[in-house]
Amino acid sequence: MERQEIAQRVKQVIGRVLKTDPAALGDEDNFIFDLGADSMQSVQLVAAFEEEFDIEMAEDKALQVQTVSGAVDFIAGCLR
Amino acid sequence: MPDSSAPAKKHNLDRIFYPKSVAVVGTTSVAGTVPYDIFANIVRDKFQGPVYPVSPGTRVIDCFKTYKYVKDIPDPVDLAVVVFPASVCHLAMEQCGESGIKAAIVISAGFREVGEEGLKREERLKAIADKYGMSFLGPNCLGVINTDPDVRLDASFARKMPIEGQIAFLSQSGALCTAVLDFARAKQIGFSKFVSFGNKADVSEIDLLNYLKDDPKTAVILMYLEEVRDGPALMAAAQEVIRKSGKPILLIKSGRTRPGAAAAASHTGSLAGSDEVCDAALRQAGIVRCHSIQEMFDTAIAMAYQPLPKGNRVAIVTNAGGPGVMATDAAIEDGLVLAKFSDETTAKFKRFLPATANIKNPVDVIGDARADRYQVALGAAMADPGADGALVIVTPQSMTDLEAIADAVSQQAHRGAGKPVYASFMGEADAARGIEILQARHIPHYAQPESMCRSFAAAYRFRAASQAEHVAPATFNDVDPAKARAILAAAARAGRDHLPQADAERVLAAYGLPLLGSRVATSAETAAAAAAEFGYPVVMKVVSDDIVHKVDVGGVVLDVDGDKAARAAYASIMSQVAARCPDARIDGVLIQPMIRGAEEVILGLKRDASFGPVVMFGLGGTFVEILRDVSFGIAPVPGDRAGAMVRETRAYPKLTGARGEKPRDLAGVEVCIQRLSQLGVDCPEIKELDVNPLLVLAEGEGCFVADARIML
Repeated sequence: MERQEIAQRVKQVIGRVLKTDPAALGDEDNFIFDLGADSMQSVQLVAAFEEEFDIEMAEDKALQVQTVSGAVDFIAGCLR
Repeated sequence: MPDSSAPAKKHNLDRIFYPKSVAVVGTTSVAGTVPYDIFANIVRDKFQGPVYPVSPGTRVIDCFKTYKYVKDIPDPVDLAVVVFPASVCHLAMEQCGESGIKAAIVISAGFREVGEEGLKREERLKAIADKYGMSFLGPNCLGVINTDPDVRLDASFARKMPIEGQIAFLSQSGALCTAVLDFARAKQIGFSKFVSFGNKADVSEIDLLNYLKDDPKTAVILMYLEEVRDGPALMAAAQEVIRKSGKPILLIKSGRTRPGAAAAASHTGSLAGSDEVCDAALRQAGIVRCHSIQEMFDTAIAMAYQPLPKGNRVAIVTNAGGPGVMATDAAIEDGLVLAKFSDETTAKFKRFLPATANIKNPVDVIGDARADRYQVALGAAMADPGADGALVIVTPQSMTDLEAIADAVSQQAHRGAGKPVYASFMGEADAARGIEILQARHIPHYAQPESMCRSFAAAYRFRAASQAEHVAPATFNDVDPAKARAILAAAARAGRDHLPQADAERVLAAYGLPLLGSRVATSAETAAAAAAEFGYPVVMKVVSDDIVHKVDVGGVVLDVDGDKAARAAYASIMSQVAARCPDARIDGVLIQPMIRGAEEVILGLKRDASFGPVVMFGLGGTFVEILRDVSFGIAPVPGDRAGAMVRETRAYPKLTGARGEKPRDLAGVEVCIQRLSQLGVDCPEIKELDVNPLLVLAEGEGCFVADARIML
């Protein structure tokens, strides 16, 4: 899967979970500081990414990812 | 130990305690979470200024418009309360700095307390704060409460804001704060400032002490500490507060166990555990150390609510004989004395109290006493020039009008002409009616007479100590630091971890400590010759780097009186030591003049991780570690402290001539303590030092170092 497609789907997931406009998301937006994700939403994001991409993510490492582009890189790594 | 000489960062703590506006950075709309509850507390407790919630995921919280970033707030912000998770606190702090905010409270946990990664995060916050000239409290804290009606700031996640009072509470532990608030509320104890300072990455307890010194709303400062990072700075700040403002500082320092003391290489190292040193340092600084929350508040209300006692003479007024005796016992044990009433006072008691009343101290107004008897007895006792304060005891009989008695006690207390009144309404269920009145009117109340007496004694001791003359540490100009350092450096170059006695004595001699003189012999014949030269009797001791406690291995012979005895002693020492320590290298036998009739004391020096060089004094000799009759002074030891160190030991009466013994040359001992103190300050290479024994002759005849050991 191309990185661009991953990024597009990641933003869709983020928009759905955090109830925000995917088009307004910046690549370097921080889930907590910029998007206001709380701890519950962070866990929900990981679950939603797993479902969207049909992958399993190590939760402790996944929760350390802080930005949109960091999530894209992490998921790309899982898909390899 | 931190470098106290580094310039301290200037903090403007008014921005933390008296902000004109507050932003809660990283708050949420979910009640019951720390970020929300802090915002809600600020609003609920009626902060006297605008509050700005910063919450990137929410548009409105409790009718307050939120801001995505702190930089979006259109108005100036004095204080940012940062409640984001630790991983993004630095982003928030950076924006606060860019926005010109000069003060912050970082509530979030996940810093130094969680290990290496957290420490890096904490250092990052500190670097950002320094870059923008910000001051911040925390991280990892409960927050700050200021009850001053001018600001009414409750920037914390405590359950309720305390009532206004004169007591400031500073705590390194956040969780303890909430327990203390609940404890205090039940007793109607109010606070001026309530501060949880957490990891003290930037603003420390020392900065807070300096601030509270000038805070007109604070009369007493309470502090809970888990670690002392800069002992000398803490002592200096406390002394400044106490001497300049007269405000008492009460401190609980937890972690009193003594790990590592067992591995010490000297008597001093073994006896000067970190808690003993901390105890001495706090006393030297004038800080009142408490060992429980109960004790701390017992003492605090005595000091905050009533004048400090000018003396230790107490009048006890009671309606119960037994508790009166219990109070008397406790008072005497705590160093108080029962006031002797004047004839005039006694006449008043006779006139107004029943014939069955006890009109001597403790004054027993008898079980059926009502408020009028307490009014008369307490009034007369307080007016007596021989009483420095009054302790009132009430037990609830069927006719005891508790509310009226509480009212009478508080009336007398408020016209007490500078004398304190404390009360103990014994019991719980019925007594509560009177106790509530006392608490509301700021009469210190104690459930037991014993805690009442202990608090009176603590308040008296604090006043006496703070009014005592302070004598600066002596500086001796006849010392030779270069010579001492050269000897120490040579030993270090040789890879030694300690100095042999002869070298240790040379170091002490360079600092003017009086030596007995000694010579090392390597044969029975030279031993006898050296002994004859000193004049008999002499003391002979093995010289070996491998033997710490010479007596234990048969390495010491006392009272050697004659050439033949000297040769025999030499042979005995060599054979016994060889048998008991076959691997020890023996450099010979040291011969010293034997002084009869001298008292043996110990002097020591140790470098403490928090407080630096510490001087020890105590009863010396072989059993020093068993008797543990020692006291400590933090170097540089002030002149008044040197004398106090001697007086604090149980051996003091023996040294002053108890039971027909000669008074000893304690002035000489005090000089030795101060010379050793100067050595400790000048020569940080010295890790531990024992002078054991220091032989103390009769008053005016001096004292002499008989044995010494220095560890590097």
